Amino acid sequence: MTAFLEIDHVDKIFPLPGGSRYVALQNINFEIAQGEFISLIGHSGCGKSTLLNIIAGLDGPTNGGAILNGRQIESPGPDRMVVFQNYSLLPWKTVRENIALAVNTVLKNLPVAERQAIIEENIQMVSLAHAADKLPGELSGGMKQRVAIARALATRPQVLLLDEPFGALDALTRGGLQEQLMRICEESKVTCVMVTHDVDEALLLSDRVVMLTTGPAAEVGQILEVDIPRPRNRMEVVNHPSYYSLRNEMVYFLNQQKRSKKRKAATPAVVASNGLEKINLELGFIPLTDCAPLAIAKEKGFFAKHGLESVTLQRKPNWKSIAHGVATGQLDAGQMVAGMPLSMTLGNSDNAPVPIQASMVLSRNGNAITWSKRLIDQGITDLASFKSYIQRDPDKVHTFAMVHPSSMHNLILRHWFASAGIDPDWDISLATVPPPQMVSNLKAGNIDGYCVGEPWNSRAVQEGIGVVMATDLDLFPGHVEKVLGVREDWAQAYPQTHVALLTALLEACEYCDDRRNRAEVLEILSRPDYVGLPVEMMAPGFLAPFDRGNGTKPEDLYTFHQYFVDRSACPDATQSLWTLAQMARWEITPFPRNWVEVIERVNPTAAYLAAARNLDLPDISLDRKPITLFDGQVFDPNAPIDYLDNLAIKRNVRVAEIRVDEIFSCSVSTPASTPS
Amino acid sequence: MAASTPSSGSLLDSVMRFLPISKKNARKILASLVGTLLCLVAWQAVCSIPGAPLPGPVEVFTDTQELIIGAFDRTDPNSTDVGIFWHLMASLQRVAIGFSVAAIVGVLFGIVIGSNQLVYDAFDPVFQLLRTIPPLAWLPISLAALKNNQSAALFVIFITAVWPVLLNTVTGVQQVPQDYKNVARVLRLGRVEYFLNVLFPATVPYVFTGLRIGVGLSWLAIVAAEMLVGGVGIGFFIWDAYNSSLTSEIILALIFVGLVGLLLDRLVAFVGSISVPPERR
Repeated sequence: MTAFLEIDHVDKIFPLPGGSRYVALQNINFEIAQGEFISLIGHSGCGKSTLLNIIAGLDGPTNGGAILNGRQIESPGPDRMVVFQNYSLLPWKTVRENIALAVNTVLKNLPVAERQAIIEENIQMVSLAHAADKLPGELSGGMKQRVAIARALATRPQVLLLDEPFGALDALTRGGLQEQLMRICEESKVTCVMVTHDVDEALLLSDRVVMLTTGPAAEVGQILEVDIPRPRNRMEVVNHPSYYSLRNEMVYFLNQQKRSKKRKAATPAVVASNGLEKINLELGFIPLTDCAPLAIAKEKGFFAKHGLESVTLQRKPNWKSIAHGVATGQLDAGQMVAGMPLSMTLGNSDNAPVPIQASMVLSRNGNAITWSKRLIDQGITDLASFKSYIQRDPDKVHTFAMVHPSSMHNLILRHWFASAGIDPDWDISLATVPPPQMVSNLKAGNIDGYCVGEPWNSRAVQEGIGVVMATDLDLFPGHVEKVLGVREDWAQAYPQTHVALLTALLEACEYCDDRRNRAEVLEILSRPDYVGLPVEMMAPGFLAPFDRGNGTKPEDLYTFHQYFVDRSACPDATQSLWTLAQMARWEITPFPRNWVEVIERVNPTAAYLAAARNLDLPDISLDRKPITLFDGQVFDPNAPIDYLDNLAIKRNVRVAEIRVDEIFSCSVSTPASTPS
Repeated sequence: MAASTPSSGSLLDSVMRFLPISKKNARKILASLVGTLLCLVAWQAVCSIPGAPLPGPVEVFTDTQELIIGAFDRTDPNSTDVGIFWHLMASLQRVAIGFSVAAIVGVLFGIVIGSNQLVYDAFDPVFQLLRTIPPLAWLPISLAALKNNQSAALFVIFITAVWPVLLNTVTGVQQVPQDYKNVARVLRLGRVEYFLNVLFPATVPYVFTGLRIGVGLSWLAIVAAEMLVGGVGIGFFIWDAYNSSLTSEIILALIFVGLVGLLLDRLVAFVGSISVPPERR
């Protein structure tokens, strides 16, 4: 089924004098069902009214579009009537004449008598019979707005668009009008989109509330379902159990956005110059197949092509040293596991928070879970048999390894065990082991299995000591694996360099995903500067069929290493939120109550989109949509706390407001914050 | 100050007892009467200095008593020797003709020019140049072109009044509030319906502003034009009085010119007030 009204990836960009551009709306994407009442809420200047005007057709989007009943909205029309904030009644016409003008223009095919009847009926509907022959100048604000509503509804529109309809009215009048509007909408079954500042008004009237983040580049921050049954009553809705939690959530959202607005205002202006601020960069990476974009950008000259003439790739032994390097400024940027920018931004007991941006996704997928051949040989070939096996002998410790607490390996491995009712902390033991040491530990019997990136799964299979139980494509296809992490203040200090770096890496990602280039990519990776392993060892899953080692025929996994296709490289706010929820689930970090702020801050898209434009690629960011994993569990990006509440296996989830700037400014003032 | 307050209060009370006017208006009228009186006294005082070239108000009144009484005299309709009323009427007639043509032309062209940005860009510089030319500068060229005193005078009235009407109408059309335009766009009003229901009513206040300025300017221009073209008219009357060294008559004529100008302005304002809804004034 197609949606009744679809807001399809709408961007609105205003050109500014001097050639720069102001992005008002970015990638606004949601659907509205017929008869639904939607409120748009956000701080002033976030582009709510612009969005409403785009639906009305009074203003055109720069990219994307609004689609009503399968047809793109290109111009205003009477099927989408607008109720303007300042009423917009024609002052030289009486109430009746104002309504008549609309009815006689829009419904001119109807006989005169019928039109008369419609006009009178609508005057009655808003209880203005006594004032029908008055001029708007003789009416109060509330009465004028009733005329405007009557005028809009008299033409029987499909959609009613309201732009802060009650903003200029006193509280008493507003309350009365809200109830009247609610009754009218319920009777006429008209689809409504309303822009408002008023949290209570939005809750009373709406089925869903779309909350926009603060501009520039306003996006949908969160969509709230208002589950209060209709018909509603203004006095009684407040007694509904979810009223105050919904209200708090909205107020909280707006407060977060107020801080984010302040921060954006304090951000130094981008230096407008064609030259780069810095052309010598130090980038950190870990020798893994998914460091390919970094290696290719260097070896194929993409860095130099985009003006970064002196880029040094520093091969690091483990993730901790990359985190340390980026945090201290030793490295300009680094390859990071998906959760690292989040955990570094939030900080923990060992490390002070450092705001980090995940400015692009370097790779997706590429991991697998490998079990020791010894388990398989005992007939333990799936999670169910493993569960009964550990129950038989509770005292025996089974150790599995992953590479970093905030890496996807850890989160996916834990989720995988938990999906079978195995608690990853109590039933088994998890250890952090650097990727190159996995195979030797497995061989030595120190661990029973691991979750790691390639080539370390294939290596175990090739050596005949391990069996691949599941790949990312089985568990969470398309998950973010490695990102490019930069410090927030670095990105602000070197905006042009940042974009140039992303442009070079994006071009390298495109190169890596072209299968014709993969043999060459493998050859480069096999050099001692990078992964330093023979080509044939790294080929499975990357270029050659992937052998699971369980006797099944090796198969080609085309998206097992995904760098570019499906806008793969774009910062992924929804997945970032999933990662954040998982880290909270396992008590790696607390869950920030101000998650919208944190996610928005860690995953800014402006630099990525600028890089995409440099390469003439579509500058569209990713959609917010629910994530469904292998076990069928759905993660709704609008309600992460509900998701955490409903999990069966989890640690003590702490939900706390985390004011990154305050902690950060405290911690820099104290000299003693030596990273371990 | 403290002493004058009770006395003016009691005076106000007595005025209000006889006239059906509010206290605020009574105060206003009283103030204007006092102001006028002060001016007259000052005038009289200045002109009482021995050797003063101009007559004082008392002298003007006694000198022109006959003229005021005989304002409506017209023994010979073809002669220029008629009462001052008929001179005023002749001037008013010229203004009426010239101004009406200017109003019609100004509003029509103003709407056309205001609704089309290209036409506006094309003609605006020309209009900006032409409107700064003083009315009397048009007289020689119009005499040369029309070869007729009467027509030339009418043309000067027209050309003086047309610019404020035209330019104000243009502004009015351009300033139609975006809200009204949006309403029209949402309803998909046709061109004619848009003109009748939105554009024209929205422009009316601007048109009346233009008309008020226009009528004032044309009254300014007529007096000067008549001095030069001759015939019956208040301008000619003043010039004639000057040539006869009848200073008091000149002063009387000036007072009449001022009064008529004021009346004209108020007349247009009154017509405007009944055509424009109160909240848009």
